Amino acid sequence: MTYELSRRDVNRLRKVLIELLDQSEADSCLICDGAGHVLAHENVNRQDPLLISALGAGVFAATRELARLLGEDEFSTVLHQGMKRSILIAAATDEVLLVVMFSGEHRVGLVKLYTPTAAAAVRGIFESIQDRGPTGEESADRNFVLKDSGTIFAGTEG
Amino acid sequence: MAFVNQDTREIQLKIVYYGPARCGKTTNLEVVHRLIRPDHKGDLTSLDTVKDRTLFFDFMPLVADVVQGFTTRFQMYTVPGQVMYNTTRAIVLRGVDGVVFVADSQWSEMAANVESFRNLQQNLALQNKQLDDIPYVLQYNKRDLPAIAPVHYMEFLLNNRGKRRPSFTSVATTGEGVFETLNMVARLVLHRFVKDASAGPGRARELTLA
Repeated sequence: MTYELSRRDVNRLRKVLIELLDQSEADSCLICDGAGHVLAHENVNRQDPLLISALGAGVFAATRELARLLGEDEFSTVLHQGMKRSILIAAATDEVLLVVMFSGEHRVGLVKLYTPTAAAAVRGIFESIQDRGPTGEESADRNFVLKDSGTIFAGTEG
Repeated sequence: MAFVNQDTREIQLKIVYYGPARCGKTTNLEVVHRLIRPDHKGDLTSLDTVKDRTLFFDFMPLVADVVQGFTTRFQMYTVPGQVMYNTTRAIVLRGVDGVVFVADSQWSEMAANVESFRNLQQNLALQNKQLDDIPYVLQYNKRDLPAIAPVHYMEFLLNNRGKRRPSFTSVATTGEGVFETLNMVARLVLHRFVKDASAGPGRARELTLA
């Protein structure tokens, strides 16, 4: 199965992220799905967004299992708080997560305050995408042509 | 579930190495990480225990230039093989696009191979997926050890479904068979991606509310 986001969709998501960074004073944030794919990110250049998504999706899925074991429907957010850096992961939909990274103890409150609003905005974007057909521009971009894929990855020795 | 980002012109695909405990899943990724061209790989991250047993998963991104106009990113994962970590295996399998089933060729591990293969099908069923609908390859590892089953026996045991899948013998510790396996599963996943994508846009329906 394949799904895709158009340039416009991604820009709408990025706009939510930029606003969240501005309001919460967080350092960086990203949106990923339950499989660990990166859907959009802002200011995550110093770290690897793929790795953060993979680990964030894994952590959140494990937390969901813990909630289930405890008889709770869901823990909607996960906060890991460190001395210098912290990370908050929030569910936007069943399959989409919002990951926010920030510094300083004093920002915890701001991040906790503004992340649910951002998560709701992300959720709204996906709901609006749900029933929309592809535009002409998007259809034109959907021409996937494989190059010769005989040897995709080669080792440097051996 | 493959993901296309039209803004960054990226395709993201997820491949999972599955198999019983100590069959060589992590070794496969370690060898790829060691030998592959630096511009094709990211860091290999292992979430393991003090005894080097995989606790959650190993993760390594690979990048390839195989679809015209797009950067293709393969997200490579392993699962923990130990029976007690089944919840973790089910989590790692979420949204999988392709599977490498690594089997241990030693006679003593045949029951574990069969159990793990069955477990793979069960965990896919939790996502409403069937193994037959997913690109996968089999790798018969540890062919350098003395007490191993012949390949035709392992084929009979694990590759006996309606449609036979590509299978490879390997000695992952030396790199033998590792890249052959990787290239085949990557190729199968890419062909499936192009086929699915040309059938019509999946859009983002799967990411909205259940």
